Amino acid sequence: MKKKQSKKTTKEKQESLIDILKGYGVQAYNDLDKGEFPKFSIPNRSISNIIYDKKLRQYILGSNTSLRSAKNTAQLRSFTQLLWLAFFANKLTKEKKSSTLRDVYYSSQAFAIDFEDQQESDNIIVDLEAVLSRPREDFYVFPEERSSIFGDLTIEYTIPGYEGKKMNLSDHPDGYAIGPSLTSADLVDTSAELVIAIEKGGLFTRFIEEKVDKKFKSIIINTGGQAPRSTRTLLKRLHEELSLPVVILTDGDVYGEHIAMVIKSGSANAAHLRELTVPDAKWVGVWATDIDKYKLPTIPMTESDIKRCYDLQKDPRYQEGIWKKELEVFLKIKRKAELEAFSKYGLTNITDKYLPKKLEEAKSL
Amino acid sequence: MSSKESFNQISPSEFFYRNRDLAGFSNPTRSLYTAVREFVENSLDACDHSGVLADVHMSIKAVDKDKPDPKQYILTVKDNGPGIESKHVPLAFGTVLYGSKFGLKQARGMFGLGATMAILYGQITTNRPVIVKSSTDGKIQDEYEMLLDIQKNKPVILKYEKKETKSAGLTVSICLDGDYSKAGSKIRDYVYQTSLITPYATITFDDPKGEKFRYTKIVRSMPPSPTIIRPHPHGIDVETIRRMLLDTHYQIPTVDDSMISKVRKELGLAKKNVDYSQIMKKVEKKWKTLTRPVRVVAAIMSFLKMDFDKLSKIRIEEVDVGNKKLIYWDFGESQSNSVDMDPESPYYKQLTNTVQGETLTSFLTKRFQRVGPTTAVKFVEYAKFKPEQRIGTMTNQELVKLSDALQTFDEFMSPDPSCLAPLGEEPLDKGIERFFEPDFHAVIQRGASAYSGFPFIIEMGIAYGGKISSGKINVFRFANRIPLLYDEGSDVVLKVVNETDWGRYKVKNDSPLVIVSHICSTRVPYKTVGKENVADRPEIERELRLALQFLSRKLSSFMSKKGQADMAKKRANLYSKYIPLIAQFSTELSGKKKEPNYKKMIKEPNVIEEKTE
Repeated sequence: MKKKQSKKTTKEKQESLIDILKGYGVQAYNDLDKGEFPKFSIPNRSISNIIYDKKLRQYILGSNTSLRSAKNTAQLRSFTQLLWLAFFANKLTKEKKSSTLRDVYYSSQAFAIDFEDQQESDNIIVDLEAVLSRPREDFYVFPEERSSIFGDLTIEYTIPGYEGKKMNLSDHPDGYAIGPSLTSADLVDTSAELVIAIEKGGLFTRFIEEKVDKKFKSIIINTGGQAPRSTRTLLKRLHEELSLPVVILTDGDVYGEHIAMVIKSGSANAAHLRELTVPDAKWVGVWATDIDKYKLPTIPMTESDIKRCYDLQKDPRYQEGIWKKELEVFLKIKRKAELEAFSKYGLTNITDKYLPKKLEEAKSL
Repeated sequence: MSSKESFNQISPSEFFYRNRDLAGFSNPTRSLYTAVREFVENSLDACDHSGVLADVHMSIKAVDKDKPDPKQYILTVKDNGPGIESKHVPLAFGTVLYGSKFGLKQARGMFGLGATMAILYGQITTNRPVIVKSSTDGKIQDEYEMLLDIQKNKPVILKYEKKETKSAGLTVSICLDGDYSKAGSKIRDYVYQTSLITPYATITFDDPKGEKFRYTKIVRSMPPSPTIIRPHPHGIDVETIRRMLLDTHYQIPTVDDSMISKVRKELGLAKKNVDYSQIMKKVEKKWKTLTRPVRVVAAIMSFLKMDFDKLSKIRIEEVDVGNKKLIYWDFGESQSNSVDMDPESPYYKQLTNTVQGETLTSFLTKRFQRVGPTTAVKFVEYAKFKPEQRIGTMTNQELVKLSDALQTFDEFMSPDPSCLAPLGEEPLDKGIERFFEPDFHAVIQRGASAYSGFPFIIEMGIAYGGKISSGKINVFRFANRIPLLYDEGSDVVLKVVNETDWGRYKVKNDSPLVIVSHICSTRVPYKTVGKENVADRPEIERELRLALQFLSRKLSSFMSKKGQADMAKKRANLYSKYIPLIAQFSTELSGKKKEPNYKKMIKEPNVIEEKTE
């Protein structure tokens, strides 16, 4: 059983965020009081400022920043929106009230902050993320829940009304939705030695039925396709706070490969954030080479699959190792296989045969 | 020539009566509008020519108010022009094609033809006479009531009175079938636009519904009047040249009783009967004072050796220069006789010159603008004529050849624009300012240019904002100070305006924009007989384009300044909207109790704005 000092972390994180936000408020207040126009420095999120950091093994923003000033009439509106969002985020974080992107859009209307559409308010939210270098989940703006978790993991809630309440995530056989309360909870205790992230809900259920959590001493996470950022945050915390290695199982196609890559090293869209990656995470399958090796039934790749392969070949992260090799094989065979393909050899084939082999293989990756 | 003869078999009145659609009298709506135009334009032309600042008063009254349209209306147009001499009134208003002038200068109407057409139309539809009141001296006024004898093309005077008056000018009043409910808006537009392009005139219109439209003069000086000039060779056709030849090359006059008495008079022998030798003595003595036709008759008499009595009993048939014979018909003997002409006689030269006319080069230099002796010689060589060829001896084929060559020879200088009467930049500018009360306006008068031998000048004005309403760009088209109201779509001005990329000049398509275009030319190239739209001659299109570009650039720089002022205003608005919000959020976010003192920041933009203005 591992136990980590994580209680402090969550609380500290929130307090430091509140401090930072307050700092911006004070800065704007003082500027106005002196008769000056307040301004924020915002990391530039344009393509030209997104670079791949080999050391961090993820996309990051370069050093370019742009100034958003209340003096510039072209920026005045978005400056006000940003300040309002800081104010609103501060309120959410203090009161520990979760909201969604859409909530933020509608909440703005109560304050005469005229976002033209949700697209505009979403953009401002990303701006604030960039300013704070924190994902929006930190200031209680959450995506729709669609991924879930199961396994022997004890958590302690920090949200209002549940503070101090503990919970073991193996009590309910359907698993638990990864929502705001879970993401903000402290990770107290676990017997697991491994985290298995799996792309599909169907397989997640199979894994629970087949007691993969016990057989492989693992916590199972269903990413529900491309992993939401709250799930990626949770994966990172499991890895860092509980020192659990993370393996990823996806469909055997180019999209699956990239789902794994995003968990490992993030996406260009989130280059302004550094809390979302698990650089040590390992993609264990389904590889293109597995298709032949395990004689999996396949379907042909579509044109967009093939185009995606060529696009990814230009990505610096696909220039070496299995990433490069598997991409080449996909392009060669021009066929793909889903996780369910193993059912051809019996429903438990994937958990009985394939998974152990791959986990063994992972150790040498 | 044969077609002309068949035309002559019906009178001009009859011809126009049958073809009145051509002149714009096709239906009661169009006819009322055309009649208004013809009379108003005649009045304005008359005032312009005599240098009087026009004060035109037009009224339309229904004969029977309660009848539905179309119905009879009385149209009266009164001006303060020079009036028409009493003896000319019946012919001027009672015949078609009276008083045509072939001089070349810019005028609104061509020959005053349209007015007679309107009178004719009125008479046809209502059988009521035209009433003309004219005073040339401002003391006595001649009042005529007339009908037109269509078949004979002659006036029938029903009533004539002389009265005392206090002002000079002309009043014409006709009764005609019209439809004011349909034509009204066009007529009002016409009056409005005419006064825009004639800012030195006062125009009043009393409409049948009792409304009064009055446009007083904006400027007190009239633009310089055009001079009559000779035609440019490029603008000539066979028919014109034939007329010019007839005009120059003197034909043997008809020796009738009135000619004989003219000869007697000039020789001082009106009452006396003298014999042939005494007549010739008088001729020699008085030669220098004799008019041309009398000289010709005298020369003929010298060969015929006849006195006046004998002369009245013959008819000259031919002066045969080649055979040196003079052939005449003797009424008494009922036979044709001939006499030989002595080439040594001084009268021989007179006669042959008259028959053959002047030489081609002399004709060209005397009768055309822009043709000097050098150019004439060059041209004659180009056209493959002999310089000394007499114009009187030209055959029809030679005339066509000459006319073609005149049009294709490219060494003539471009036409003389002194026959044009543009309005001028200042009056146009003032007119635009007064009519549209815009935020911005500019005008330009382009230099003279020419198409096919006809000189033209483009004047253009642009106005933006102010009382102009947004929507589509308003284009006011004028030609020779006449508004063009119909057939806008196919006009060259519209084409140029529509092809302009307004975005380049910071102008949106729905901007409150007015364009006033004025084409002045001795001949405006109308597309149709209706004279409402101008054809897209490349030379005219080019000038229009250049004028519009010039004005658009001016507008563009105004728009940028306006843009700056708008920005400052907008900025001020934005600040006063957002700064309080920033104050509110920063106060709450920083946890302060009192809002920061930001009021001075909202005022600041106003200071900036004042500076930019």
